[in-house]
Order: sequence, then C-alpha cells, then structure tokens
Amino acid sequence: MMELEHSFTIPVSPERAWQVLLDVEQVAPCMPGATVDSVDGDVVTGKVKVKVGPVALTYSGKARFTERDEQAKSITLEASGKETRGSGTASATVHSWLEPEGDQTRVMVHTTMNVTGRPAQFGRGVMADVSGRIIERFASNLAVQCAGGAPVGAAAGARTAAADGGPVAGADGAPLHPIEDLQLPVRTFNSLRREGIHTVRDLSARSEADLLTIPDLGPQSVSDIKQKLAEQGLALASVAGAGAATSAGPADTAAAPPPQAARPPDEDAIDLLSVAGFPVLKRALPIGVVAAVVITVLLLGRRRRRRRA
Amino acid sequence: MIPAKFDYTRPGSVDEAVRALADGGEDAKVIAGGQSLLPLLRLRLSFPDLLVDVGGLGELRGVRDEGATLWIGALTTIDETARDPVIAQHCGLLAQTATLIADPAVRHRGTVGGALAHADPAGDLPAVATALDAMMIARGPAGERAIGAGEFFLDYLTTALEPSEILTGIRVPKLGPGWGYRYEKFHLTAQAWAIVGVAALARRANGHVAEARIGLTNMGLVPVRAQAAEQAVAGAEASAQSLRAAAERADEGTQPPSDLHGGSDYRRHLARVLTARALAVASGV
Repeated sequence: MMELEHSFTIPVSPERAWQVLLDVEQVAPCMPGATVDSVDGDVVTGKVKVKVGPVALTYSGKARFTERDEQAKSITLEASGKETRGSGTASATVHSWLEPEGDQTRVMVHTTMNVTGRPAQFGRGVMADVSGRIIERFASNLAVQCAGGAPVGAAAGARTAAADGGPVAGADGAPLHPIEDLQLPVRTFNSLRREGIHTVRDLSARSEADLLTIPDLGPQSVSDIKQKLAEQGLALASVAGAGAATSAGPADTAAAPPPQAARPPDEDAIDLLSVAGFPVLKRALPIGVVAAVVITVLLLGRRRRRRRA
Repeated sequence: MIPAKFDYTRPGSVDEAVRALADGGEDAKVIAGGQSLLPLLRLRLSFPDLLVDVGGLGELRGVRDEGATLWIGALTTIDETARDPVIAQHCGLLAQTATLIADPAVRHRGTVGGALAHADPAGDLPAVATALDAMMIARGPAGERAIGAGEFFLDYLTTALEPSEILTGIRVPKLGPGWGYRYEKFHLTAQAWAIVGVAALARRANGHVAEARIGLTNMGLVPVRAQAAEQAVAGAEASAQSLRAAAERADEGTQPPSDLHGGSDYRRHLARVLTARALAVASGV
C-alpha cells in the first residue's frame, strides 16, 4: 500500500477546473498510457500501459467516481485493474479537491495505491517508483487539461471559458480549435471530417443547409451540432457558404423543413425521440441498459474463451 | 516462465546493430550478457519485439590504455573487469566493485555496458561510474557521442541512450597517485542487490583528505553523488572522527525509496554508516 500526494496550480477559476475534473472522458486521457475503451455514466473501462525502460506492464480495468461533492469541490475516483499478460493487480483511490488560490486554483491529489503480483515483488519496489511517476504525469496532464488545453463540453465550463482566456479565436471570432473538442457523436464527427471540416471555425462558417447536404448528416445531427455550438456561444452561418449545393434560406429557423432527400433513412428512429421526447427515452432506457449488460457479458465471455483457445 | 515471443538478430558489426535497432523502433532491445534482461523476459515484465544480440561484436571487447584515460569495452564482463590488471592498476574502484557484484555465474556473463545501460538504481556499477566521472560512449545512426555519467542516468531503468543507440564502451579517467578507493555494499543475503552501496574515492595529501568523490547506490531513482559529504570531507583531517563527521551528511539531498528491504530512514542511516567506512578505507585511516 502506498500513499502519494501531489498538488499543482492551474490558471483558471475553481468553477472551470471543477467542470474538467467531473468529466471522466476528459480526465481519463490524462492518465499516461491510458486508452479508454468505453464510458458508461460514471464508469470508464480501459487500459493503462506502463513503460519504464524495458519493463512494460498493461493493466485493464475500470475507474469510477465514488464521490462528487460540488460544495467542497472534491471528487473520489476508484480504479482497479488486472495485468493483461500476468496475474498482478493494481488498484488506486484518487481523492482530488480544489482550493482557490488568488484567482487561480490549487488542485490537490491524494492517491492510495495497492499493487500485487510479480511487479510488486520485483527488485526494489519498482511499482512505488513507477506509480509515483504515473501519478505525477497524470497530475501535470490534468494541469494542462484544466488550463484550457481543450475546452470542456459542459455548458458551465464553456461560459467561463472566455473569462479565463479560453480557446484561441480566429479572425471572425470563432475558435480555431479542432471539432473534436465539441464532443460530437462519432458518426457526425466522421462525416464532418470527410467533408474537410476540421476546426470549429470551419464548422461555424457553414449554414444548416450546407450541413444537410453532407452525406450521412441528418437533421438530428445538425441539431446536435447547433446545440454544441450554442454551448460555446457560437452558431452556424445564416447564409449558405460556397459548399452549399441547395438553395439557401435563413437556416437558423429550426422549423424550416429540411430537404427530405438529405435525411438518411436510419435517422428516422432518432427523430422519433425528438418528437416524442422524454417519455419514449424513459421507457426505452431500462431495455437499453439490460441489452448493454447482456452484450457486455456475451462479449466478455467470448473474449475469455478465445484467449483460452 | 517462458518469455513472450520475440524476433532475434545477431548483427556482425556495431553499425549493423544500430541499423537493426533503428529499424526495430521502440520495441527493439539490445541484449549482451542477458543477466538483467533475461529475468525480465522470463518474468514477463518486458515484451520487446526484437532482440539485437551484440554478444558477437569483438569491437566492443577489451580494455585499452589511452594515456590519461582507460577505455573499457561495453562487452567486458564483470569477471574480466575484476581480474584485469590494467583496470586494477589505474581504476581499482571498478575492479574491487566488480568482485562484489552478484555471483560468479552472473559475473561471467554480465557485462559492464549491460549493467550501465540497464541503469538499475540498485546496481553497483552506475554509482561507481558516477563517482569515477566516467564518460559513456554511445553510437547511433548519427555517429558517436560521449555522455557524462551525471547526465547518463535519467530515471529508473532509463538512460540518455536513444532507442537506436548502443553503449559501446566507457572512458574512465585514471586515478593518479595519492588516490584511495572503496566500495561498501550492504545486502542481507550473500548475493543480492545492494540495499545501499557507497563508492568512495579520496585523495590524501599531508595527513588530510584533499578531495573526495562519493557515489551512492540505491539512494534514489538514479545513482547520486553525496555532494554535501564530499564538500565536508575536502580539506578535512584524515582521522576516523572527522571522516565520520563528514559522512553524517552523506544522505543530504537524497530521496531513498522504502520497500520490502528497508525503509527510507533505514537507507539514510546505512548511507551515513557505509560512507564513513568507505571514506576511512579510501583515505587509508
């Protein structure tokens, strides 16, 4: 069992730092060597590869938030994993809290770590050194993340972004940061990338009608995009740009019926949700959860069997 | 346990080996005596895709007297180092330390270059190289370069060597007249890693210690020099009492680990005691 203490300051307000700290999808990649396999609510499943000189260990496991205290600006994250090519295990409880320091924020990180298996017995406590380094790097990555390496998707974060000297703005005021930062659904993101739209500025230069001509991009996706842009205080162009094939109108009027041909058939199911709204979602959710669990169990079972073969 | 699968190549020259490493990228690894790497492979703690065996490269063997310095080839085994008369004459600290490393079987296979490039903070040679101000000679695709021991050891098992560079040898300044040396190593069982090791060099003049260099094993992630103690002992009277007083500062500025073999405070204590012993022998008290 090891206890590690780290702290660092970041040049943003505690409110903004809090938004980053809450976002599993943003916090997880700060872990050096981490790959995120899936995010399900508070639970992140993924792998962490630790490489020190010739020693390479890969742990796969889960991390989840066990405590979030908005008042105290404090979170507790529990992570546990198993070596993928050995029998060792590693678990950690990370308690992190924010303290205002002038107009900056001090992030405190307290980690309790337990490592078993061969790595724990190897030489002189390899893992103490290695894990200490990992946490250190995690802390410094988190510092970069909090300092606005990427803006947070959450609305509150975006609101404070400007005050904190957030993302770099282009000539017309729209930020030049990549559209990854909007955290759009993967399909939407891919469609935009195929169309040569790489930055938020590229995106906000297009009108709604422009976007609807992009293959695989339906009204639902466009309304997602509009919402994400609105969170950043941005909007689509109101007049069709050069890329528009169809006649353009004042696209910001959401009620304007999009051309039917541009809507792929598989978007219909999602449209149903936007019409029927919450009740449908509420009824569908338990079924979805059960299905997800079943699929996960099946996948795990299959993977395990394959490994044995 | 059986190591994970890897490719193996045995190049005929250093340049070929460098090319093989460069082509192999991050997951290629040099193997010489294999006394550190093979256990890692067998414990499945290391998974290189390619092993470049430099064991057959004659140009990396041997000891050369270069005047003010000695060149010691990276493939010189620990046992050869312990027995070589040139090393014993001009660089006795290295020879004495070599006799204390592991067991005879390991000493006959393990190499000086391998021990240094592996950079285990519990290994004895890194601290000795640091105390000796040795230069590490590395060859890579861009040619040869020399790296001082102080800049060579970067981190736990991590050196300044690029992935495609090979440590070809070390260049050690000869110890002139008046220099004494001693490596003190503390371990619980006959052949084990040092819990703490101290490499001391001292030059004696007029009943005083004119200067001293002290390298510490396993007192941090990399071998460190006990600078506070070095300064305290410089110019001090060559007596057991004054040496002990200087050795009291041996652990200053170090961050020794705590593990199964000993706590951090225990290591600090060992560093002070062993430094006093090593300094006493080195300065002939």
